[in-house]
Amino acid sequence: MGQLKVAVIGSGNIGTDLLIKVLRSPYLKCGAFIGRNLSSPGMSKAVKLGVLVSDESIGFIEKNPDCCDLVFDATSALDHRRHAPILDQLGKIVIDLTPAQVGVMCSPAVNIDEALKSRNINMITCGGQASIPLAYALSLSHKEIDYIEVVSSIASRSAGPATRRNLDEYIHTTQDALKHFSGAGSTKAILNLNPAQPCVNMQTTLLAQVSNPDMEAYRLHLSAVVKNVRRYVPGYEVIVGPTVENGRVVVMVRVRGLGDYLPAYAGNLDIINCAAVAVAEAHARKLGAVPVH
Amino acid sequence: MTPSLVREDCRRIIDGRSDALSALRGETVLIIGGTGFAGTWLAETLACLNDDFGFGCKIVLSARGTERFASVRPHLASRRDVRLIRADVRHLSELPRETNWLVHAAATPDNRFHASSPVETMSTIVEGTANILRALDPLSDFRRMLYLSSGYVYGSQPWNLAAVPETFAGAPELGSPAAAYSEAKRCAETLCAAARSEKRAPITVARPFAFIGPYQPLDTPWAANNFLLDALSGRSIRIQGDGETVRSYMYGGDLAYWLLRLLTTEEPGRAWNVGSPHPVTLRAFAELVAGHVNPVPEIRLHAAAHGNAPRTRFVPDASSAQQKLGLDLRVPLPEAVERTLRWNRTETPVSGAPR
Amino acid sequence: MLESSERSPSIDGGPTKTVLISDPSLRDGNHAVKHSLTAEQIAEYCRASDAAGVPIIEVGHGNGIGASSLQLGLSACPDEVALRVARENLKRSRLGIHIIPGFATIERDLSRAIDLGVDVVRVASHCTEADLTERHIGYARQKGRSVFGVLMMSHMASVEVLVEEARKMESYGAEGFVFMDSSGHYLPGDVARRVTALRAGLSIPVGFHAHNNLGMAIANSIAAADAGATMLDGTVRGFGAGAGNAQLEVLVAVLHRLGYATGIDLYKLLDAADMAEKKIIEAVPTISSVSIVSGLSGVFSGFLKPVMRVAAEYRVDPRDVFFELGRRKVVAGQEDLIIEVASELAKTRSAA
Repeated sequence: MGQLKVAVIGSGNIGTDLLIKVLRSPYLKCGAFIGRNLSSPGMSKAVKLGVLVSDESIGFIEKNPDCCDLVFDATSALDHRRHAPILDQLGKIVIDLTPAQVGVMCSPAVNIDEALKSRNINMITCGGQASIPLAYALSLSHKEIDYIEVVSSIASRSAGPATRRNLDEYIHTTQDALKHFSGAGSTKAILNLNPAQPCVNMQTTLLAQVSNPDMEAYRLHLSAVVKNVRRYVPGYEVIVGPTVENGRVVVMVRVRGLGDYLPAYAGNLDIINCAAVAVAEAHARKLGAVPVH
Repeated sequence: MTPSLVREDCRRIIDGRSDALSALRGETVLIIGGTGFAGTWLAETLACLNDDFGFGCKIVLSARGTERFASVRPHLASRRDVRLIRADVRHLSELPRETNWLVHAAATPDNRFHASSPVETMSTIVEGTANILRALDPLSDFRRMLYLSSGYVYGSQPWNLAAVPETFAGAPELGSPAAAYSEAKRCAETLCAAARSEKRAPITVARPFAFIGPYQPLDTPWAANNFLLDALSGRSIRIQGDGETVRSYMYGGDLAYWLLRLLTTEEPGRAWNVGSPHPVTLRAFAELVAGHVNPVPEIRLHAAAHGNAPRTRFVPDASSAQQKLGLDLRVPLPEAVERTLRWNRTETPVSGAPR
Repeated sequence: MLESSERSPSIDGGPTKTVLISDPSLRDGNHAVKHSLTAEQIAEYCRASDAAGVPIIEVGHGNGIGASSLQLGLSACPDEVALRVARENLKRSRLGIHIIPGFATIERDLSRAIDLGVDVVRVASHCTEADLTERHIGYARQKGRSVFGVLMMSHMASVEVLVEEARKMESYGAEGFVFMDSSGHYLPGDVARRVTALRAGLSIPVGFHAHNNLGMAIANSIAAADAGATMLDGTVRGFGAGAGNAQLEVLVAVLHRLGYATGIDLYKLLDAADMAEKKIIEAVPTISSVSIVSGLSGVFSGFLKPVMRVAAEYRVDPRDVFFELGRRKVVAGQEDLIIEVASELAKTRSAA
């Protein structure tokens, strides 16, 4: 079969970063880099890298369905809701990086197998990708979790107008995902933007209320899950805990990005892209793709 | 090997004040438009900081005419700490990933070009700046950008305003092609402010006024250039009006030091005037120039065949930079003139010129 | 500077200057008691301050509605109960809330608060992040409430940036703008400069919220009023985060003496303060050594209790923790960093 052919829709900074990761992947090949404006910096980069580009948006895939078997959608929730049925019709596997939440939520270190059964997989939120592994590990070591809270701090410069306008959606989506993956009674998500220069790396803290906290058991499961996460996000690191402080379970991770096309401090954006590529590669392997090194 | 005239200037200007620039140590400084007057002086100053003060900066100069630069300025182009990138800002989409500091000095200050090609003038400035701002997004270790705007953004300086402060609300003539350069600079400044506000991009703006010194091509028809050319050619110095028009001139070396300080300062301040606050009438300036030529040339007023050249004023109020950053001019005007003449004589000897 | 004879309207002959007082005793004060105010305390204070004619009473968790959390502290009294009780006990005074996007959402918190009868919505963000408030301000406006934009930790932005950010809030429809000295860092000149610049850049009224870490809360508030601010926050006995706020009874007394009208009955306000001291305020705020350090280092006043607790746990000097938090330019809401800083300081100490 060779490599799995993929297309990226969305030629902004996120889509361009995704493109670079795809080109680096031994399992994936980029059949098309698609957007709306041929003169955007992302398009110029794609051209420089020898990738086929198009400004016809989803129309290009409709006209050239053989260009790809899997599509990364890095456009917007609104656009993805339009794209999803079209891509489904065309039989494409879709990895949704928007907040549209059409398909199955996936945190690769937690439920990659479930994701592989679906043809539309969404990458939840940045805070979700950072915290769900921590919440999942907690659920493996503790039968009853009353409450989980996740606080993420990101560099103000890594949050563009779209993130800012959709803050509420981010909070609700992250909370729902946390509940889904941990079985906690209730959840809360908080997002802090920090304008300090030099820009701060993404930092996520999980706080939880459990009866009879067992940090030994948590540490064991946590280190296994974290090891798994680091396979696709090398910059993911536990920096404090797990520990019990003031009656709460506390664990903190820092996420430093790869800096492919996004600044390295934007670990929040990088973790979603890394997770998306991890899902695509898993699909590729399942379909029998042969890695090219 | 005796240091060049320019190197001597840089040493003198930096001396005792290098600590203020220590944020640049070991960093990569990109100068877009790096082969022009400001760019070359910046490169010289950074080279001096490297050679004499152990700064270890990497200097990247980006411009359209890098080949010509390499041939006329080999002492800079061939340095190991200097890298040349050939690029046109209108088509720029990427910056070197390791860029820490950026000075955007790309624009043609040649008013003849502004008159003949106002569209290209505007697009280079506005689109070029927009491209650069977009290209900042992926940089991981970016500290700050300094945008070189222009003292022309204020429009005409009123005669009774001795010096223009940054808060002056005047503007160029609306809708006039003669205002193409000024309006484009104003637009670019607003783009920088918008990027600061929306993307939190760290950007400072400098508004440079008028400068003399080595690396200033003398063929642009400015009064200062005309006087210097006249003097170098052994001609009498011709002033078109009554000589009462007021200007001020800062030396290239002081310009470069001021720009690096503005680039690296934590002091918030949206825009800073850069230029000499010491006014001089054209007549007095001509006399200054004449005094450095032997034999002393004649100064001819009202050299324009007919018509009344109006008196104008173009002098910055630079007290913000002076007071908040403690900046001053180390090369006073008479010396600036003397060194400019000396450099031009040795660099490009004009035939028949007295020495 | 504060000559009362210069200000008395009967001598001047000019119109009386009015200052709109907003009283966040039941909100900022929650910081001082680890968000443990009860429904009963809320009810009693609302009755007393309503009787005194305090124009706006702000109620909720120290970090606003929807902020009850492990990160910022759990409220003893859920938002819904607190607002209901307050609404029942405020007849003339308006019921206000503080809300920070990122902690609270429209769907979960703001819409419910408005349904419960909140009159005044103050949407707040860190001083450089005004664009986070666009949707929340828009929603409250749509629902016909009084909406104000608030910038917190305002000392962390230059005056120019502060004005730019405030203008964003005005463009979103805020009918007034308040800047906060959340760490008690300002001196009167700092405040006057900002009010002057804000008034020049905005078409909406400007207000100020003081903290007392450097003993300047009253002076700063008066400086704001003298520079043209027409809204001021004050809490009884200064009951608020860290070293507390501008002490409301003192502020009102001084404002009246300077010829500003507030519509507040001073005697009844003093009664409310006396009652609050007995029944609500655990300890009348003083300026502790640590508060001075936090004020100097410009760290959010609401960090005082968590810093003291965590510093004791990790056996490090709380003053060192504050300086390090200040150095890192930590913003309100980043309480988790206190643990990180303390643990790093502890590691350095044991490595030394």
